[in-house]
Amino acid sequence: MRTYFPVEELARDERFSKVNMRERMADPRTLAGDSATTTRKSRGNNNRLVPSRRDATDAARALMHGIFVGEIQALEGAGRTCHDFAVSNVPGTGPSGADSDPTTGNTVPFALKLDMARQAWDEARHVEISVKLSDWMGTEIGQFAENTVLFEAACSTDPVLRLAGVNRALEGLAIDVFTTMKDFGDLAGDPYLEFCEDWMLADEVTHVKMGSDWLRKVTENDPDRRKKALDFQNVVDKLFSYGGTRSDSEESPIGLARRFRELAGFSDAEVADIAAVSLAALDERKSSVAKMRDQAVTEMADQLGTA
Amino acid sequence: MADPYKPRAPIAPWDRRELPGLFDVEESARRIGNYTWAEMKLFEALGGWVATVPELDVKMRLGTHCYKHAWHAELWHKRLPELREMNPDRLTEPANDAMVQFVEAMTEPEAPELTIEKLVGVYRVFIPHFVAAYTFHKNNTSQITDAPTIRSLQFILQDEHDDWREGEMLLQSLIETPEEVDRATAHQARLQKLMLQAGGIAGPGSIGMNPTTSASATAGATNRNGGH
Repeated sequence: MRTYFPVEELARDERFSKVNMRERMADPRTLAGDSATTTRKSRGNNNRLVPSRRDATDAARALMHGIFVGEIQALEGAGRTCHDFAVSNVPGTGPSGADSDPTTGNTVPFALKLDMARQAWDEARHVEISVKLSDWMGTEIGQFAENTVLFEAACSTDPVLRLAGVNRALEGLAIDVFTTMKDFGDLAGDPYLEFCEDWMLADEVTHVKMGSDWLRKVTENDPDRRKKALDFQNVVDKLFSYGGTRSDSEESPIGLARRFRELAGFSDAEVADIAAVSLAALDERKSSVAKMRDQAVTEMADQLGTA
Repeated sequence: MADPYKPRAPIAPWDRRELPGLFDVEESARRIGNYTWAEMKLFEALGGWVATVPELDVKMRLGTHCYKHAWHAELWHKRLPELREMNPDRLTEPANDAMVQFVEAMTEPEAPELTIEKLVGVYRVFIPHFVAAYTFHKNNTSQITDAPTIRSLQFILQDEHDDWREGEMLLQSLIETPEEVDRATAHQARLQKLMLQAGGIAGPGSIGMNPTTSASATAGATNRNGGH
C-alpha cells in the first residue's frame, strides 16, 4: 500500500458521484443553491436553515447527505494519518521501513497516531449515524453529489498541515454545521435528529481540541511550521466559507458556533478571524448575485428594446 | 456477622490462582514489545485501507477496528515500563525478519478490487495468530505476579474475538463465486506460509511450541521463548 493516497482514487461504490465545490454548491436543492437565492425575498434577509424555510426539506436533506459524505472522507483522512507517517523514536515504522518519510523527513508522536485512530472510530460512527439519519429524512445514498475537498485537506505530506486543515478548519466547520442541524431538529420537533446531532457535536469538539493541542505541541519550537499550518487552515476556512454558507450573519444558512469553538480551543481572535472571512465570503456572493441580476436586467432591456 | 478478628485464610479457598508462570519479567517484556509492534502495524494498515475499499460497510468496520488495535498497542506500550523497560520504544520491534515480510505481504494489496485479499490477511491470518499468542500468554503467565498483563489480555482478547467474527462475516458476504474462494484461499496460504516462518506474533514459541520448520527465526528468539 502506498504512502499518501491520491484523492482521485478514493474508493466508492457505484451510487456515489463526485463533483467539484462549485458544482456542488450550484445544486438548487442545497443550502446555498438557486432556491436559497430565489426564496430569500420571502424571508427578508434571514437565510438561516430553519424549518420555516420554503426549501427546508430539500436543504436539510442535502446538508445531511453532505455531512454523510464528509464523515466518510474524515474517516478516510484520519485512517491515512495513522498509516502515512512513521512514529518518532520507533525505528523502521515509516514508509518502506524507513525511520521517517524519506522525502519529507516527517514523523509523528505515537500518541498523535493513537488520537487519529480514535478519530477514525468516531468518524466511522458518524458515518453510521448520518446514513441512518439520511434514511430517516427520506434520502438515499448518492441522491446528492459528493465533492472531495475535505479529503484533499488530509493529503498533505506534513501531518501538522493535516491537523490544521482537517481537525481545526473542517472539524471546526462541522461544529457549526452540527449546531445548526441540532437547532433545526429542536425547532422542527424532531428529537431523533436533535439527539444524534448533539452526540456528533460532542465528538467534533473533541477532534478540534485534539487538533488544537497537537498543533501547539508539535510546532512548539518551530514557529515557521506553525505559521505555515495556520496559513493553510485559513485557506481551508476561506474555501469552506464559499458563498457565505457559514457566518454570524442571519443571511448565512449555517451560523458560527462560537461557544463550542471556544470549548474546542479556538481563541477569541481566531473566532473573530473566521467570522470576518465568512462575512467577506457572504458579501462577495451577494455582490456577485447583484452583478448577475443587473446584467440580466440590462440584457433583458436590450432584448426588449430590440424587439 | 462473623468475628472480624478471627484469622482467615489470606487466599480465599475458591481462589485457585497459582504463583508460578512460564515467563520471567524479561521474557514477558520481549513478548509485549512484539505485540506492540504487531498491533501498531495492524492499526496502521487498517487505517490506510479505509480510503481504498469501495464497500461502505467494510470501510466503517476498518475504521472501527483501527481504533481497537491502536488501543491494544497503547495498552502494551504502557505496560512495558512496568516491566522495567524504561525505553518502551527499544522493545517495540518485530519478532524477526519473517514477521516484517509477513506484514509487508499482508499490506501489499491496495486496489479497490482487492477487498477480499485485504480482509483475508487480517481476519484469517493475522488476528487468529493474535488470538493464539494472547491465549497462550494468558494461560501460562503467573496469575498473581503478572495480573496486570492478564487483565489487558482479557480485554484485548474480547476485542480480537469480536473483530475476528465481524471480519469473517464480511468475508463470507463478499465471497460469492468459486473463483473468489480460490482467490481467498490462495492469498491465505501465501500469508500463512510467511507467518509459519515467523513462528507467530512473538516469534517461535508464540504458542509454546518450537516449530522445527521455522527457517528465519533468530536463535535468540528460539531460546527465549516460553516453551523451555
